[in-house]
Amino acid sequence: MLTRLFLVIAALGAVMPSSVAPGPAATGTIRGRVDLRGGTQEAAAHVAVTDVAMTASHAPTDRRSVVYLDPAPRAAFDAREETRPRLDQRNETFVPHVLAIVAGTSVDFPNNDRTYHNVFSLSKTRTFDLGRYAAGRSKAVKFDKPGIVRVFCDIHSHMSAFILVFAHRYFSVADEDGVYRLENVPPGSYNVFAWNESAPLESRRVVVPESGGDVEVNFSLGRR
Amino acid sequence: MKEVVPLGITNSRPFHLLLLLLWALPAAHAHAQPLPEGPVRAFDGRVTVGADIAATVGNGDDVAFFNYTDYEHNVLKLMRLSVSGVYRPAAWLALVGELRSEDLEHPIPYAAYVRVRPWQRHAFDIQAGRIPPTFGAFARFSYTAGNPVIGYPLAYQYLTSLRTDAVPATADDLLRMRARGWRSTFPVGSPTPGPGVPLISAFEWDTGVQATWKTGPFEFSSALTNGSLSSPRVADDNGGKQIVARAVVTPAVGLIIGASAARGAWLARGIEGADPPAQRALGADVEYSRDHWIARAEVVWSRWGLPSPLAPSGAAAVSAAGAWVEGRYRVTPRVFLAGRADHLGFSEVRGTLVQTAGAPWDAPVKRLEGCVGYYLQRNFVLRGSVQGNWREAGRDRQRTYFAGQLAYWF
Repeated sequence: MLTRLFLVIAALGAVMPSSVAPGPAATGTIRGRVDLRGGTQEAAAHVAVTDVAMTASHAPTDRRSVVYLDPAPRAAFDAREETRPRLDQRNETFVPHVLAIVAGTSVDFPNNDRTYHNVFSLSKTRTFDLGRYAAGRSKAVKFDKPGIVRVFCDIHSHMSAFILVFAHRYFSVADEDGVYRLENVPPGSYNVFAWNESAPLESRRVVVPESGGDVEVNFSLGRR
Repeated sequence: MKEVVPLGITNSRPFHLLLLLLWALPAAHAHAQPLPEGPVRAFDGRVTVGADIAATVGNGDDVAFFNYTDYEHNVLKLMRLSVSGVYRPAAWLALVGELRSEDLEHPIPYAAYVRVRPWQRHAFDIQAGRIPPTFGAFARFSYTAGNPVIGYPLAYQYLTSLRTDAVPATADDLLRMRARGWRSTFPVGSPTPGPGVPLISAFEWDTGVQATWKTGPFEFSSALTNGSLSSPRVADDNGGKQIVARAVVTPAVGLIIGASAARGAWLARGIEGADPPAQRALGADVEYSRDHWIARAEVVWSRWGLPSPLAPSGAAAVSAAGAWVEGRYRVTPRVFLAGRADHLGFSEVRGTLVQTAGAPWDAPVKRLEGCVGYYLQRNFVLRGSVQGNWREAGRDRQRTYFAGQLAYWF
């Protein structure tokens, strides 16, 4: 459900004309904080009763929120910075746990563990299977469509990550305190969405004035 | 001549459940609501509960019994539900349990044990209760997620004619039961016909104490249990204990090599004689994986001591060996192909009235299984398989089975 909603929103963001007037007007910053009521919920591995030893906890510590605009300013689609983000496999954990990218970006998946990993996704946005590869090796996947991609390891069921693919560049991954900043936002009226894997999607209507400046928008997301 | 068992599946519980699941799938898909992908957690993560559901439909088979685990249950026509849970009140302590029901029958505790890590800096763990198997590689895998095909390896499932509560007095008694492990009878012990035992039972766990130590690429496990590989038990039925040991080494990433050994009293009290005979077993296994491939091979040899030598051969023990190779190749992220080639052989005995020239004490079996699977989501898989079985004796020496399975776990 969330994936579909995200896709619709992202697609609309890509095709709808923005309510922003073009021009070199002052830009603003939308900033704030995303709190998660009740804290984040850790993922757990499948209960493996056949284990003969205590399993270590590999719960990710960076289950962060992502804040993004919709619709996005027209300028968001013009120039794109070439980036090459990484989703590391370290200590049987994907690092970072949440990655946000612009559509068309390739992501590297280096294995920095001492064991095999098998990164794959069955998400409709991008289905892939990198197979098993050893430490020191890396494979890459290009993400062309906006949407949410859930990434797993076929060998370690407790490993998971999210890649949020946007049609524009107006998104921000909140820091560990939940603080985010969307900079260089042209004046206009937007919906600001806050996403977290543990909470329903929430949005606020904000207006960046013609004079630019900071606009504060805070979220308090409820648990699913 | 090849024979295909007629499809007679519509009156089974798994069939109705499979229909229900197939009916529900499009509805769930239409609403884009994936099934839960992880276990349920409570009490700040101290309690974790998961489940496995596998509904398998296939040919009916009440003649050849190639895939039966006892007289009632056929692996290729089985509805299996299990709920497992872990309560971890402290980092060094965990209580683990699993309840399982086959064909919606009364659930039984499959696993119930306590796991303790006495020293946090050392990967040394002790488990006590109804514990996971120590011997072999196959039993360590989760059936729904780790078994590449639908069927089981013969050594872990196929019922030999040997029973724990009845034994043959002569070689002829044993040879007459060739290929009748699903319901054998012997003159000494229980007069009631009953199922025999496999080399290693994958359908029950033993009770006892187990210790595991991991260091670098090595893992060593050892256990002291009430039952035997063929007949795991909750309560001891013969006063003898089983000792099992296993060593595993991972010399390179993707390569796992294991060796196992076991020795334990296997006959029930009353027929074991003055010197209770033992089941001795040795096993070796290897797994190699790379890219989209996983390949495994395992060999198990088992020797069952008998209370008295079988006249006229004088054999005081009989043995069997199972060997198989299996593999899985992921063709696409959602589709995989898998297969297993399996053989089960038996030592020879010479009879007086039957098989006077000598013959394997049970009929050797070969099995080939091919499987195609489709991941509906990462923990929800649809499988279809075809399995051929060849046996050197019995009323039905060759059977081909077709089976379909929906398996879901979280």
